[in-house]
Amino acid sequence: MSDQLVPVSEIQSADDNVPRWGMAIDLDRCTGCEACVVACHVENNIPIATEDDAAMGRSSHWIRIDRYYEGTFPDIKVKYRPVLCQQCDDAPCEPVCPVYATYQNAEGLNVQVYNRCVGTRYCANNCPYQVRVFNWFDPEWPEPLDLQLNPDVSIRPGGVMEKCTFCVQRIQRGKLDAQAEGRKVEDGDIQPACVQGCPAEAMAFGDLTDPESKVSQWAGVGRSTQLLGELGTKPKVFYLEKSD
Amino acid sequence: MDRRNFFKLVGTASGGALTGACGKQAQELIPLLVPATEIVPGAEEWHPSVCSSCAAGCGTIVRVMQAERKIEVDGETVRQPIAAIKKIEGNPLDPVSGGRLCARGQAAVQGLYHPDRMTGPRRQAGARGSGDFELVDWETALSEVAAALAGFDRRRIVYLTSAGMGTGSATAARFLDSIGAPPASTIGVSDFAVERRASQLAFGWDGLPVYEIQDATYALSIGADFLGGWASPVFYSRRFGHMRRGRPGIRGKLVHAESRFSQTAWSADRWLPVAPGGEHALAMAIGHVIASDNLRESDQADESLRQAFVATDFSGACKASGLEEMRVRDVARELAASTSPLVLGGASIVRPGSSRAVTAANELNLLLGNIGAKGGVMPPAPLPGGLAAERPAYRPLEEQIGKAEVVMIDGVNPLYAAPWLAGSLAKVKLVISFADFLDDSAAHADWILPDHHELEASAGVIPLISPTPALAGAPEFVKPLHETRATPDVLVDLARRLDAAIEPVTLDSAYASIHGQAADEESAPADFIDQARRQGGWWGRERPADAPRTRTEPLGDWDPPVSDPAYPFAFQPYPTLQFGFGGQSHLPWLQQLPDPASSAVWNLPVEIDPATAEQLDVRNGDTLRVISPSGELEAPVYVNPTAIPGVVSMPIGQGHGTFGRYASGQGANPLSIVDPVPEQETGAPAFGATRVRLEKGTTKQRLVQYAAVDRQPRPHR
Repeated sequence: MSDQLVPVSEIQSADDNVPRWGMAIDLDRCTGCEACVVACHVENNIPIATEDDAAMGRSSHWIRIDRYYEGTFPDIKVKYRPVLCQQCDDAPCEPVCPVYATYQNAEGLNVQVYNRCVGTRYCANNCPYQVRVFNWFDPEWPEPLDLQLNPDVSIRPGGVMEKCTFCVQRIQRGKLDAQAEGRKVEDGDIQPACVQGCPAEAMAFGDLTDPESKVSQWAGVGRSTQLLGELGTKPKVFYLEKSD
Repeated sequence: MDRRNFFKLVGTASGGALTGACGKQAQELIPLLVPATEIVPGAEEWHPSVCSSCAAGCGTIVRVMQAERKIEVDGETVRQPIAAIKKIEGNPLDPVSGGRLCARGQAAVQGLYHPDRMTGPRRQAGARGSGDFELVDWETALSEVAAALAGFDRRRIVYLTSAGMGTGSATAARFLDSIGAPPASTIGVSDFAVERRASQLAFGWDGLPVYEIQDATYALSIGADFLGGWASPVFYSRRFGHMRRGRPGIRGKLVHAESRFSQTAWSADRWLPVAPGGEHALAMAIGHVIASDNLRESDQADESLRQAFVATDFSGACKASGLEEMRVRDVARELAASTSPLVLGGASIVRPGSSRAVTAANELNLLLGNIGAKGGVMPPAPLPGGLAAERPAYRPLEEQIGKAEVVMIDGVNPLYAAPWLAGSLAKVKLVISFADFLDDSAAHADWILPDHHELEASAGVIPLISPTPALAGAPEFVKPLHETRATPDVLVDLARRLDAAIEPVTLDSAYASIHGQAADEESAPADFIDQARRQGGWWGRERPADAPRTRTEPLGDWDPPVSDPAYPFAFQPYPTLQFGFGGQSHLPWLQQLPDPASSAVWNLPVEIDPATAEQLDVRNGDTLRVISPSGELEAPVYVNPTAIPGVVSMPIGQGHGTFGRYASGQGANPLSIVDPVPEQETGAPAFGATRVRLEKGTTKQRLVQYAAVDRQPRPHR
């Protein structure tokens, strides 16, 4: 890991009882199958982007697979990685919001408050990962497609910015379930939709301040790195690089 | 959902009941679609089900919550509370999905609530293909269809279906048998006839081998895009993940040989760009190195097999495979030197000699001595006891349909996936479709008797590949949204009207049969069925591998490379991870999913190599005309840096004439220009054997690419 990056062991919460959510993605397991992309659409009521929308660069994906070619035929390889909001500890999107619609919560989530957002798009402009998506119009689901919508997730109207939330509704449900059962949230209780669905089991999610959690274990291995971490954004998504 | 929580839920959910107390008032005012149940707004229930998006048969769990739909009552629009499906995930207890699910499986719920679903039975009111249908009631439809069937020679009924096997196919088999019709046939595309035949030839097994890649230390896959559109992608992706990083200190290596840089090539450590049709020669060349240099001890390969590999002309084989000798030799040596080597054989793109190619790839495992070994090859799991039914198999169709008086189409879309059947289908006197969408084939039917969506019907499905005997089961848990009927029920009704009463094979009767056959089962039948319903299926025990039977007849030579100056390019349509063979193109989630190769959304391009692009002076997004002896199409071009020079690839999925608002009229169907020569062993259409020539197109085709890097024109190299 580069010296400029923040090792997982240094990630701390202000309070010992408050988790700091993070993710690790093992690129050696990942097959680029995009199951995570559809899982996210289903879970988070992502609007349908028509062909015209897509042609204007208005596709809505909270997670995408970046793909780069390396080398030339026949010794060509493809490098790819799922890219989602990196939930940066020093998030460039946060200080530029004029209405405080995006901020860092106590658990380290880079939160977007939809009913505060006035759609300046400064945050998207300032995000080096290009993971923020703007709603140019009110979303439409021709009936009865709307029956599938997840009632746990708000529908975002036109003029509002949106992004990956680490499936905050699942985090919330996991905490409430644990509370109802009179126990602490255990590692693995909470899984965002992308992590849950991943066929190659290439993603881990959990509390980065718990050294025993799967995500901490993964994030701490030698292959672990952070995307554009040298920018000082302190991302909480760790990538385990592919190695031969 | 984790395993613990799922157990908790299956302990409480039963028989489709949504429990709770707060919905009482609503139920009294407006009847719920789920009878005798109450809904708690905001509360979720998870029910077991099974995915039918492909033949893999992944066990799933389905999240059900309250929703409201608008309906007309006495001229007024009212909101009706219903139990609606919100999400599908893999069933953590299921040995195939293991709690995971692919993009197609996750998107299946959009098919259920698609705005263009069939709302009831329809009769063709205009010319076939006009799309002019009239809605009729079920009694009219069934009585008229039964009367029409009674007037035809039953032996001249052709029942087209998918390779899926379970309660539905068993009931269809009973129906056809009872009325004196021949058994059902698949359409020869996406039914793995080649792999099945190869398994029989190489090992004497009925069914697809189970590759234990999770425990392999070195895997060579030849022709099988097992992480993409081939066979059982979730099952093999899970195993691949484990092979890579699931074992402390051990990282399995993957080498992938295919004539396309597929999803599996993405993930491989090394890709061998085999010439189209060169897979057989490659397998023989690798076998030659292992056998003639005695690189591996094995008591599973008999002397004749070993000699066949030794006698192979290594240089000729490498030349036919399009690969350098050094490269092939390296892979063979690495493979043989590995602790747990494995060769996976498959035909994602079927060519005339594919059965032989897959057989040769499978036989490398005999040479490596890994049958039944850790990280090797296991035989297909036996079918669940008591479910006496055969998996529908391909029977050469052109002739059958040419003679047929009636064609019944159940769960397949032959006019899209096998468009060469259009001419003979047009001459058939009566065409009946069970499609739940007006797809390409349903548009040409005389009657559409729409099936329930898979999430509305009760069904048991035997997985295509499973480590154990298995039946994944989906009990009913939501009421159908429209006036559709489960096809098995329709077949039972039609049989009765034709004086050939049959009993349907239901999920419960299938579980009861399994219980009856399980000698060591101690539970009472009712408890056994209840448990299976709750957990979403029945899974038997793994068993040791039988000793493979060695082939006695010679395999034959590989096909020589084809060249044709009039058609200089090999053309390979390929199944995609988002659409398979085009069956899920109607779902907007999948239409807007960037194609892995080209990053295209809402359309799929023709892929050519950079040198060919330079010769033709085309860039990304320009239109290309692809001309074969059987037809031509125009599509946008994607200059793919991984494409093998001289090989043109095109993903399957677009080009539907009619398939709902999101797919109709989008792009071109590569299968529409295929010259369907028969695969030599099975007779199945070798859709990867067509040759084409390329010209600049005349129409303007749109190529929208999601990735910004692809939106820029790629400079010629």
